[in-house]
Amino acid sequence: MSGPTVSLTGLCKTFGPVKAVTDVSFDVYPGEIFGLLGPNGAGKTTTIRVMLDIYRPDHGQIAVFGGRLDEGKKNRIGYLPEERGLYKDLKLEPTLVYLATLKGLDEATARKRLADWLQRFDLYDHRHKKVQDLSRGMQQKAQIIATLIHQPDLIVVDEPFLGLDPVNTRLVKTIIEEQRQAGRTIIMSTHQMYQVEALCNRIVLIDRGRSVLYGEVEQIKHDFAGNAVVVAGQGDFSQVPGALEARRENGTWHLALAPGVSSQDIFRALAARDDVKIERFEIAEPSLEDIFVSVVQGAGAGEAADA
Amino acid sequence: MRKFWLVARHEYRNMTRRRSFIWSTIGLPLLIAAVTAISALIATGAGEAIALGYVDHAGVIADSAGATAQVGDVLFRGFSDEVSARGSLEAGALQAYYVLPADYRQTGQVQMYYGRNTPTERTRQRFDAFLRANLVADQPTAVRGRVDDGVNLILRSADGRREVTENGWVNILLPFVAGMFFTFATMMAAGYLLQAITTEKENRTVEVMATSLSPLDLVGGKAVGLMAVALTQLLVWIAALVVGLVIAACFWPEVAAVRAPWGLLGVTALFFLPTYALVAGIMVAIGGMVTEAQQGQQISGITSMLFMIPLFLTVLIFSQPDSPLIVALTLFPTTSFLTILMRWGATVVPIWQLAVSWVLLVAAAGLSVWAAARIFRIGMLRYGQPLDLAAAWAALRR
Repeated sequence: MSGPTVSLTGLCKTFGPVKAVTDVSFDVYPGEIFGLLGPNGAGKTTTIRVMLDIYRPDHGQIAVFGGRLDEGKKNRIGYLPEERGLYKDLKLEPTLVYLATLKGLDEATARKRLADWLQRFDLYDHRHKKVQDLSRGMQQKAQIIATLIHQPDLIVVDEPFLGLDPVNTRLVKTIIEEQRQAGRTIIMSTHQMYQVEALCNRIVLIDRGRSVLYGEVEQIKHDFAGNAVVVAGQGDFSQVPGALEARRENGTWHLALAPGVSSQDIFRALAARDDVKIERFEIAEPSLEDIFVSVVQGAGAGEAADA
Repeated sequence: MRKFWLVARHEYRNMTRRRSFIWSTIGLPLLIAAVTAISALIATGAGEAIALGYVDHAGVIADSAGATAQVGDVLFRGFSDEVSARGSLEAGALQAYYVLPADYRQTGQVQMYYGRNTPTERTRQRFDAFLRANLVADQPTAVRGRVDDGVNLILRSADGRREVTENGWVNILLPFVAGMFFTFATMMAAGYLLQAITTEKENRTVEVMATSLSPLDLVGGKAVGLMAVALTQLLVWIAALVVGLVIAACFWPEVAAVRAPWGLLGVTALFFLPTYALVAGIMVAIGGMVTEAQQGQQISGITSMLFMIPLFLTVLIFSQPDSPLIVALTLFPTTSFLTILMRWGATVVPIWQLAVSWVLLVAAAGLSVWAAARIFRIGMLRYGQPLDLAAAWAALRR
């Protein structure tokens, strides 16, 4: 494997008394889609902003394309921030051409590529409209074009599916996959775990400013197997001691286990109850969402217990 | 630097294509044209031939009774007595008539009787010239010419840096007008800049911009582009003013006495850029601290007063241009440019004051731009959350 496109080690960033990021480390390699996960306020956006030199870190090492992020490297980055925005009183086409030229493209190339992108996103007929006259979904698609038009080597997308209908969500997923196949590095921050499972090769889970889970998706799921069980039967399985969360799916109950709780413990607890009847009990391969809940809530419960 | 110029060009194009800019740019020239045209019409008596009568009991005017004489656009008709002159006035054949009493040569007193409208200053000056010419009709041509031209007093300062002619009041007024123009241009460009910065925050585009170019390229490009917008507007206005002055010179000798103020232009060239940099820095810092354009405009309105103080002291600047307060304003960075331009027409600004003022201004401008870059970097991503003064101070100390 070639060297990492992005490498973060021991990243720390505080805003006054608030510790936004206290210890985040991960590497992202070319040709992979890397998931940056975490609950609201965990420090994902701050991590991205520090990584992209919008904020200066208090401590820690950041290497982008093998070194410090200088002005020249900015042309190799495409960024779709969580806080979206375009110049509302300008027309769509000149706005996107302007943003593309700021990424190093000449105007002619930008116009040529833009025509293709606009057609692909079904925005070509709207190119002479002012941005403020476009729907929210259209504006979202326009910003995805601005992120990709200069063919960046590193693509950072924060909640890329926000505001998109299912058809456009599928289109964006296809495009992200195409970019990965083209050898580009993609960092995707999202709350939509099924999208992460469908797209990402590796993930880092940030909670309270720290990396708490990091590695390949498959390996993580394998490591967490046993941390969830599937139960079918009669009765209410929503309140089971040792289960962090109980979810009903297709007539069965999916129970995410608290750290230190085994499937045997759950089985014994259920067997001891008279109000439920077990018809099927099996160890589930956990979804990323289970793992997310298990790690985040488990850490919270742990801290509460320590307190 | 390529991105710097891309931003500058974008801001220039974006702003100069706005309808509000086009209207405000051509509005002033249209106003000047209208005022010039109306003034010219008034000065020339709305284009109508003017007839004035006179009754000469003093025997000053040769061929008086029944004679006519043309001076410029005014026709003078002599009458033998006041009854016939009044008759012509009441019949509407005259706008007014003058009566020179028999003792005119001793008293110099002349009466004028007018109908509905008093003759204009310009028309009265024609009669003065007509009377003077007759008074010295028996003198040699050179003497007659000298009397006709009158005295043109030239005032020169001891060091020779300054010269004012009696008819050169326009040369006194011009620096004041130039000061107003440049100050408004500076404040206008700074206002555009503030708007551009806050709009960038409001639109949430600043985060994408920050990952495309450096804060210096972003803010610097905007500042230069918007200064070019203000200069374009100023250039159009100055061109309109020059054309207006050229046309006005045909009607008013005072305007014809206007000389190109090279010294003033030199001072303007030296002071304009650092003054703009100072204002721009302050506006960028405000834009970095606030969350909405409206908030920024309120704060910048107060800040702008720091640059406008000389306007409130106009009377003092013209009456006591070298007083300690005015010298202090000359040296203070926010007021130096306007104060110097306003003093320029009223006194000789000492070289040392110009030099010290410029050095202080450049230092303040440098400090302003430095502070603005730091505050902008910290404040640019504070959506919906203003940067308080303590946080701004912390950003400066970092």
